Amino acid sequence: MSNDLLLRIVIVDESPVRAAILSEGLREAGYVNVLRMEGRHNLLERIYAVDPDVILIDLEDPSRDVIEQMLHVSREVKRPVAMFVDQSDGQTIQQAIEAGVASYVVDGLRKDRVRPIVETTISRFRAFARLKAELEEAKSQLEERKLVDRAKGILIKLKGISEEEAYSLLRRTAMNEKKRIVDIAQSIITAAELLR
Amino acid sequence: MRRLAMGFIPLTDAAVLIAAAERGFAMAEGIEIALHKEVSWANIRDKVNVGLLDGAHMLGPLAIASSLGLGHVRVPLVVPLALNLNGSAITLAKSLYAAMGETGADLSTALGAARALGRVVAARKAAGEEPLTFAAVYTFSTHHYLIRHFLAAGGIDPDRDVRLVVIPPPFMAESLRNGLIHGFSVGSPWNSVAVDADVGRIAVLGAEIFGWVPEKVLGVHARFANAEPEVLHRLVRALHAAAAWCEDPANHADLARLLSEPRHLALPAELIRRTLDGRLHTAPGGALRVHPDYLVLHRDGANRPDPDHALWMYSQIVAAHQGDWAPDAAREAISVYRPDIFDAAVGPTPPTPPHAPDCVATQFGAVFDKDAFLATGA
Repeated sequence: MSNDLLLRIVIVDESPVRAAILSEGLREAGYVNVLRMEGRHNLLERIYAVDPDVILIDLEDPSRDVIEQMLHVSREVKRPVAMFVDQSDGQTIQQAIEAGVASYVVDGLRKDRVRPIVETTISRFRAFARLKAELEEAKSQLEERKLVDRAKGILIKLKGISEEEAYSLLRRTAMNEKKRIVDIAQSIITAAELLR
Repeated sequence: MRRLAMGFIPLTDAAVLIAAAERGFAMAEGIEIALHKEVSWANIRDKVNVGLLDGAHMLGPLAIASSLGLGHVRVPLVVPLALNLNGSAITLAKSLYAAMGETGADLSTALGAARALGRVVAARKAAGEEPLTFAAVYTFSTHHYLIRHFLAAGGIDPDRDVRLVVIPPPFMAESLRNGLIHGFSVGSPWNSVAVDADVGRIAVLGAEIFGWVPEKVLGVHARFANAEPEVLHRLVRALHAAAAWCEDPANHADLARLLSEPRHLALPAELIRRTLDGRLHTAPGGALRVHPDYLVLHRDGANRPDPDHALWMYSQIVAAHQGDWAPDAAREAISVYRPDIFDAAVGPTPPTPPHAPDCVATQFGAVFDKDAFLATGA
């Protein structure tokens, strides 16, 4: 096995799903020493104990500032740790920050040895963000359908029309008022609640 | 209308930036500020670096360290305005504070408290006990240098006699409660949060250690400052006008309410108000520790960035072994602070009253000798 695949990688991410997606991605790429750190208690001591080569952390985790202590001289550090990216890697920094992740690697580790890890991380973070967006989209579609159904029900009851007629009334009104059907449905529900 | 994305960390001294965005000062300059609440100073730095943020509420020492490339990729930053001076405090665990009281030292003065702490640390050492642990919010921060100065004044070696760690502000009170740390040095209002939770006692206000110390600044990327000087001038003018509004006690009630909103600090307005007024409870509902300069948002030329302050911060970075002294780096640090941009934007302002014995008004302990530091790094 190549030495690179033995690099010790620590993931700091409060989202268990995303951490799992990332670990899986790294294992698929052949990395065997991938460990997720959970919780904030004694984070630094636990990281020192693992003595990682690479740390990957979610940008929304406040523990980033805790980890950055290791960037500076400290008698607690077994060996100096520095950021992976340098001036020449502007694009990688940009992509990582935009994907919502930061990476730290042990000083002296060659960039080309770490690049595949960072690239996998960026792509897995992006995949998770897409997944989340799709899930939210699906959820909001479901919510919208529920609202339209309620509005239809109100129209059926009040106007004594069929479901099909109720829906076409909603659609026509939305078109005339240049609004979305769900917005019209919402106003019908609000009005009905007010007039109840 | 020019839209600018500005980052902030939920702290009282984000006041000037938040007020500029929410009380019409930016609008008056043709700017729309989109505020982004961030969870770490590292994020602030990185997002300004890659351009996700146009500028941010930033720790002064972080602006200096990033421009020097210390511990991280070099991010050339420009500081055209100081958002505030002072505003932090040192909070200690109740048991530690009680032990300090038993030494017989006068805890009502900062130097007395430092000496009392020195005796407690010496006694613990003699008894073979674990060293005490103190936290700051970031390694490159005035809070870190403030507690180092305070410890040194009490005869404590901050590198050997105690442990200094970093903990994000929202976890300070909890860490104090469960004994992970014995005290911390942090900005408002997190000291008051720990007091109200009855887990700590405010021992010393920052202004009792340094009377006029740089704290948060407006930090923007040099790229932005060079490409759009006119937009930057408008932003500086907007913040300067907002700072004058924030300083006026007549506006403190409104400002405290604004800051307390969930999208900003998400903390009680009454607690924030105490930090704006510089009247801090040191124990729940109990004794007050009052200082007219606890937090300075505008008065006496506070917003004009003082290059001596930049040099002082660099001297603290060197003293804390975070960077080596070099004449080039000293010049570079000074050049991060840009009073020329401030003057071009705001126009002539009355001169800042001189401070003694040095530019940060050191109240006790080692005085900053600017010329000696420039010449020898000491």
